[in-house]
Amino acid sequence: MDMITRRSVMLGSAAALAAGGASAQTRTQATPTAELNLPIERGATLRMLRPVRFVGPDEDVWRLNAARFSDRTGIQVRVDFVGWEDISQQTAVTANTGAGPDMIIGFNEGPHVYADKLVDMSDVADYLGRKYGGWMTVAQKYGKRHGTNSWLGLPFGATAGPMVWRKSAVNAAGYSAPPSDLPGFLELCKKLKAMGKPAGFALGNAVGDGNGFANWMLWSHGGSLLDEAGQVAINSPQTLAALNYVKELYQTFIPGTIAWGDISNNRAYAANELWLTSNGVSLYFALKNDPATRAIAEDTEHTELPHGVAGGWPSAPLTLNGMVFKHSRYPNAAKAFLAFMLEAEQYEPWLDANLGYWAHPLNAYRAAAVWTSDPKIAIFRDSMNNRFWNGYKGPITEASATASNEYLLVQMFASVASGQNSPQDAMREAERRARRIFRR
Amino acid sequence: MSATTAATWVRPKRDPSWVVRLFDWKPFLVFACLLPAVGLLTVFLTYPLGLGIWLAFTDTTIGRPGKYIGWENFEYLLEDRNWWNAVFYSVFYTGVATIGKFALGLWLALLLNNHLPFKSLLRAIILLPWIVPTVLSAIAFWWIYDPQFSILSYLAIKAGVTTENFDFINTPWSARFSLIAANIWRGIPFVAISLLAGLQTISPSLYEAALLDGSTSWQRFRYITFPMLLPILAIVMTFSIIFTFTDFQLVYAITRGGPVNSTHLLATLAFQRGIAGGELGEGAAIAVSMIPFLVFATLFSYFALARRKWQQGEGND
Amino acid sequence: MTEATQSNSATAQPEAMSWDSKSRRMVMLYVPLACFVLILLFPFYWMTITAFKPNAELYDYNTYNPFLIGSPTLDHIRHLLFGTAYPRWLLTTMMVAVASTFISLLASTLAAYAIQRLRFKGSQYVGLGIYLAYLVPPSILFIPLATIVYQLGLFDTPFALILTFPTFLIPFCTWLLIGYFKSIPYELEECALIDGATRLQILRRITLPLAVPGLISAGIFSFTLSWNEFIYSLAFIQSSEKKTVPVAILTELVTGDVYQWGALMAGSLLGSLPVAIFYSFFVDYYVSSLTGAVKE
Repeated sequence: MDMITRRSVMLGSAAALAAGGASAQTRTQATPTAELNLPIERGATLRMLRPVRFVGPDEDVWRLNAARFSDRTGIQVRVDFVGWEDISQQTAVTANTGAGPDMIIGFNEGPHVYADKLVDMSDVADYLGRKYGGWMTVAQKYGKRHGTNSWLGLPFGATAGPMVWRKSAVNAAGYSAPPSDLPGFLELCKKLKAMGKPAGFALGNAVGDGNGFANWMLWSHGGSLLDEAGQVAINSPQTLAALNYVKELYQTFIPGTIAWGDISNNRAYAANELWLTSNGVSLYFALKNDPATRAIAEDTEHTELPHGVAGGWPSAPLTLNGMVFKHSRYPNAAKAFLAFMLEAEQYEPWLDANLGYWAHPLNAYRAAAVWTSDPKIAIFRDSMNNRFWNGYKGPITEASATASNEYLLVQMFASVASGQNSPQDAMREAERRARRIFRR
Repeated sequence: MSATTAATWVRPKRDPSWVVRLFDWKPFLVFACLLPAVGLLTVFLTYPLGLGIWLAFTDTTIGRPGKYIGWENFEYLLEDRNWWNAVFYSVFYTGVATIGKFALGLWLALLLNNHLPFKSLLRAIILLPWIVPTVLSAIAFWWIYDPQFSILSYLAIKAGVTTENFDFINTPWSARFSLIAANIWRGIPFVAISLLAGLQTISPSLYEAALLDGSTSWQRFRYITFPMLLPILAIVMTFSIIFTFTDFQLVYAITRGGPVNSTHLLATLAFQRGIAGGELGEGAAIAVSMIPFLVFATLFSYFALARRKWQQGEGND
Repeated sequence: MTEATQSNSATAQPEAMSWDSKSRRMVMLYVPLACFVLILLFPFYWMTITAFKPNAELYDYNTYNPFLIGSPTLDHIRHLLFGTAYPRWLLTTMMVAVASTFISLLASTLAAYAIQRLRFKGSQYVGLGIYLAYLVPPSILFIPLATIVYQLGLFDTPFALILTFPTFLIPFCTWLLIGYFKSIPYELEECALIDGATRLQILRRITLPLAVPGLISAGIFSFTLSWNEFIYSLAFIQSSEKKTVPVAILTELVTGDVYQWGALMAGSLLGSLPVAIFYSFFVDYYVSSLTGAVKE
């Protein structure tokens, strides 16, 4: 009953949307490719779980696309949304019981943790890659099993966390834009602090912002958790340099960042208490869509964080990663569904609806309208071309997922920033834990 | 199932009230009475618990089954700073929060034991913190403790007490005490209402007699109120200790174990390592390591407080 | 704030002590009581005010006094009631809490009766076993438990919760009821046995009515715990319309790294109010009956 009403509602809004012309035409250039051959099981129905929307239209368009899939194939698809923090537990339960949804869209390394329990996605990934200009760097990294060409997951998009800064404050400090070198950046933060318009980065156990800051600091100083072979490499002069830098940088922060969660910087920034931070595009859009804070949005700029010695923007984008479980009775239908959702006719309207929050994993979607809709979000377009990932430089494995989920690096930096540990101690502690995590 | 087989066996006796007789047969009655509780607990608790304990001796991760590794997980924990830290904080948290809850709860109960207008309304209001789902009150507290938007900091600044925002959860010790305060807040109502019930059982004649003897109010409390309250105090305290020790939601929602692991309780550390981090074996080992503490805490409150009083009560029967 | 009152009453005490019993009562009773109520209720006040505040006022303490609402709005409540499945979550939560409380009470009454009144060999050990079951934290049980729940075909149904909640309710209830049964004199039962009553009749006619206070307090406790439960509800329920209030609010009203504070707080309030009202009728009975039990 519920399904039917929901669907008819969806179709209604589909008509409205089509009339508006938003999804009438796609801009993406698809390379003609042989159709994917997935014999769909008889009587298939599907259930999927994905992280909760960021903007309202995300969910609407997603459901609309799913309804379209049902219309074309007769396969009912039920989509449930889960909080970002809860998706990992739900995935764990699903993988361990062999119950629940056929497919889950999780984050980052998700598919690598449950590698043994997933259906190989290579055929779908190859097809989409050929059709839409190839998979981007991070998509390949998170999608494929390390060192092979077999795909465990199907990346759906990602977002990087650039520097978000108030033009007025940075200008008042005597800069036209934040310096792109680390010493200069520290200098800027000192000036901002002196002006009473401080910067701040999360040093708490925050999935996105905390790991983002810690990764940036480590990589921009040339340090890394692992070497290419996957050996723990955290004990290095580069790490020490990063720790010493953070020790100094932290003095310029707004008080309280060690307690920050993912939402904290959004709030402080919106309240004119924080003038420079790093975040996904969510902050900018929350400001822009609220009349009360629109002025702040207009004063806001996005810039890549200083690269330091890293060859490129040292940010591991938060990646949506789709997986299909072996316990599914209709694996082909599930694969067909995920492929369908990534086809231009569906994917591009969805990408546009997300207002830039999720950046595409396939090169051809560069052309999507969203990337020219607002110059301030253009920086997110190539999020997935970054050359960094959680657990850089090592292979993505179950253990590298553990390291980032345990906030190994965040805690290393936070313990130095708070003065609890000397840089050497913090590094040794992190190494000890890392050796345990990567012991097999 | 067993009821029917037993029934067919009894039937040949042709006794019209065989059911009644069966249920009056003590061994069967014991069995029937214990069946629902023991059955539910076996299926949904003992078995998963056994599995949990087994996990503690393996290197299972969330993605794949592990193999037996003996005491390796525990050996690692013994040299793990964070585990010791969690042990310390769990004990500290439980101790301070329990003392706080009982001191304030008892005080509140004593206040409520007076003649007051709107007494039942007052009691209902006081139960509120206990009723609202922990996750949600934890979120409210998270906001109240926010480094930037704390309403308490706002008040203090307006009142001229301080010029800067309070540092509620940004440094280890203030975070530890902030969490304890939130836990006490949540725990007071249950303690107060239960102790109030206990207070009302104390016969006024005892106090009258004591008054005639010229006792001070402290003496009346020390020699009448407190001993009379002990039995109920023991029950409430045991459960409060267990609840506090295994607390999870409050810490997880407010600090998530931060800053830098200083507020991890064993339960949150187990979750962090086992579920979020995926090291199921190690997480299980941390959870198992809670059991001795819980047994100790229970025995302590049971023997120190309850035993004596109950035995006296039984002697009276 | 507590400290303030303490020092307050300390300084005020000497002069008030002497004769004026009215002001003494004021200082010793009403002032601390008022402080308690203030502190206990402050978070609720905060929730309420947030639930009715427009977003623009939430973070701006300079322009708007945070204790007041500039222009109250019903948007958050409207969104909650009509934009989400909130009424349904509330209903599910109620149902699950009532059902699991009922099951737990039934099972624990029988168990407590068997352990305390029937006195069989080894009854203490069964009691101890049930009690020890209480010590197991759900946070580590839920993965193995999920497998069992799935094997029994209960996954993603309310029964998954109704049958697993008793695992942490039964130990407590049994323990509490054993205490109450202990307080009922054996003579009553023995008389009835001599009169030819069966044991079940005794349980129903004599023991149970005397244990009503215990049942009520166990019931209140169980209901509150079920109402609060988070981990199992999160793990065993996946369809959004079947979720319980605590889980649903967190998963449906938080979008990425942006919290809908207004709706979140409105949800917490609306969820607690029915229970609070329900308890306000009950609490009198609870307290007075608890009184009766302990007196025995």
